[in-house]
Amino acid sequence: MAIIEVKNLVKTYKISEKQNGMLGYIKHLFHPKYREQTAVNNVSFNIEEGELVGYIGENGAGKSTTIKMLTGLLTPTSGSVIVNGLVPNEKRIQNNKQIGAVFGQKTQLWWDLPVIESFRLIKKMYEIPEGEYRKNLKKFTEILQLEELLDKQVKNLSLGQKMRCEIAATFLHNPKIVYLDEPTIGLDILVKDNIRKFIKDINKEKKTTVILTTHDLKDIEEVCDRIILIDKGSIIYDGEKEKFKDIYGNKIIAEFVVKNKTKSVTLETQEEDFEVIEETENSLKIRFNHDKLTVINIVDSISKYCEILDMHVQEQGLEEILKEIYRGEIIRD
Amino acid sequence: MIRKIIAIAKQDAREGLYYRFDLLLYICNFMIQIAVYVFIWLAIYNQGNQILGMSFEQVTTYYILVVSLDPIIGWGINEILGEAIRDGQVLRELLHPISFFSYYFGIRIGELVEAGIVGIITFLLCAILFGIVLPQSLFHFCAFLVVIVLSIIVIYFFEMILSMSAFYTNSVWGIEILKRAIISIFSGMIAPLTLFPEWVQKIANFLPFQECIYTPINIYFGELSNIEILQTIIKQGIWITVLYLLAKFIFHKAIKNITINGG
Repeated sequence: MAIIEVKNLVKTYKISEKQNGMLGYIKHLFHPKYREQTAVNNVSFNIEEGELVGYIGENGAGKSTTIKMLTGLLTPTSGSVIVNGLVPNEKRIQNNKQIGAVFGQKTQLWWDLPVIESFRLIKKMYEIPEGEYRKNLKKFTEILQLEELLDKQVKNLSLGQKMRCEIAATFLHNPKIVYLDEPTIGLDILVKDNIRKFIKDINKEKKTTVILTTHDLKDIEEVCDRIILIDKGSIIYDGEKEKFKDIYGNKIIAEFVVKNKTKSVTLETQEEDFEVIEETENSLKIRFNHDKLTVINIVDSISKYCEILDMHVQEQGLEEILKEIYRGEIIRD
Repeated sequence: MIRKIIAIAKQDAREGLYYRFDLLLYICNFMIQIAVYVFIWLAIYNQGNQILGMSFEQVTTYYILVVSLDPIIGWGINEILGEAIRDGQVLRELLHPISFFSYYFGIRIGELVEAGIVGIITFLLCAILFGIVLPQSLFHFCAFLVVIVLSIIVIYFFEMILSMSAFYTNSVWGIEILKRAIISIFSGMIAPLTLFPEWVQKIANFLPFQECIYTPINIYFGELSNIEILQTIIKQGIWITVLYLLAKFIFHKAIKNITINGG
């Protein structure tokens, strides 16, 4: 049975419409006008225990709203959410015991106290057995390199240090499900790697289900097995990460260093099945579909017009694929 | 549950006590306030006036108790909770494995530790400095403490109700001022309630705020009979029940409709 079941989930907000200027404000005070906006529109998915799911979409696509409904912080307008047998917004506290969550800048660490004090409070609040607490603390300290941080006051920590502690705090009580809303925002590459490794390790060891929203697609590439892509409140892709690339991103980008160019390659190859993205005197950047063409075909066609000195082939990354989806360049079926 | 609340209270107290210098400043500030009150009343008494049958020592004691009780009653969770709602931190707090009310009650007790330290030190120092009237008896002193403890619970639910309006209005500061004004008028903080017009006294008799300051001080002086003390405690019990139910009702209503700020 799926650990998270979401069925026909809808959330609409009432947004107050304010007119500009003082007069508009006064008008609004006496005669407020509202319009409805649908943030999440008929979303359904199931998540199995132990899955690492990347929940992605543009700003305002409905990611955070969905996560808030999954954690029981928002009541759905219609549809249902069941998390490990519970309806989160009805049994919020019971549900809280089985989940962990990181929400952007919100923190569960106490600003003026050493980090370890916050951990101790979490231990008491979640009634973590002493042995389990020690074991987890030791392990987390190792992976996230917290040794020197535990006795420092939270306010003296850097952003990266704070986030590492926050992540550790979130997993201390062995939650069955963890929601991570942009856990790597603003962090440097080493900390990001550190956190990704931690999530993967814990998932492997404890079968923790993790739902990760992020704008850093490296997070998804490295951590997640499955992608749910939401756009304007609706899911437009749900499935394996690799398949996602197959469907949307069968494209390859080849960069060439050239010399002695005789003609404009862009113009000459307009009829061909590939696309020249960039062209300068000494370089060419070409995108083509791997199903139809090979690099050899490309080399054949362009070598008529120039001499190829060097080349570099690259599969299109998740980031480029998403950029195109967001821009509407890829139209889904 | 109680152990969890105590753990939260300890945490909050530890954080508060981190700012020891602040506590020192508060004590100085309160002592100056008391001195001002004492000097004003000294001037009035020197004119040969006798006010409401209170001796000058009693008035001095009244104000020493008022100012010492002020932090104990007044340093609540209003600002903390209001701020948390405004900046969205409340989101995090709704995810604790303990009810929202229990969590904030823990915070309230934590605040009480600081306030208690400030209040008791202020009281002792001023008692030595200006002299006080001692409580009527040990029994009256205990009754005084019981009424204050119950008042803290009354004010806690009152504050929860006020703070939750921040879910809708995002106003924190205004509500804090409103709360302060209501409490300081109807509790007898500004002056003994017998100095106010009768209609104010009538309202004060109905509201649960005079039990914060005025009633306990009168119990301290031994002005209330045992039956009146019992009536006071029953009145507080009723108010606690009413405010508790109202607070829960508003919370459940709010939680269904709110859109929490931030992210």
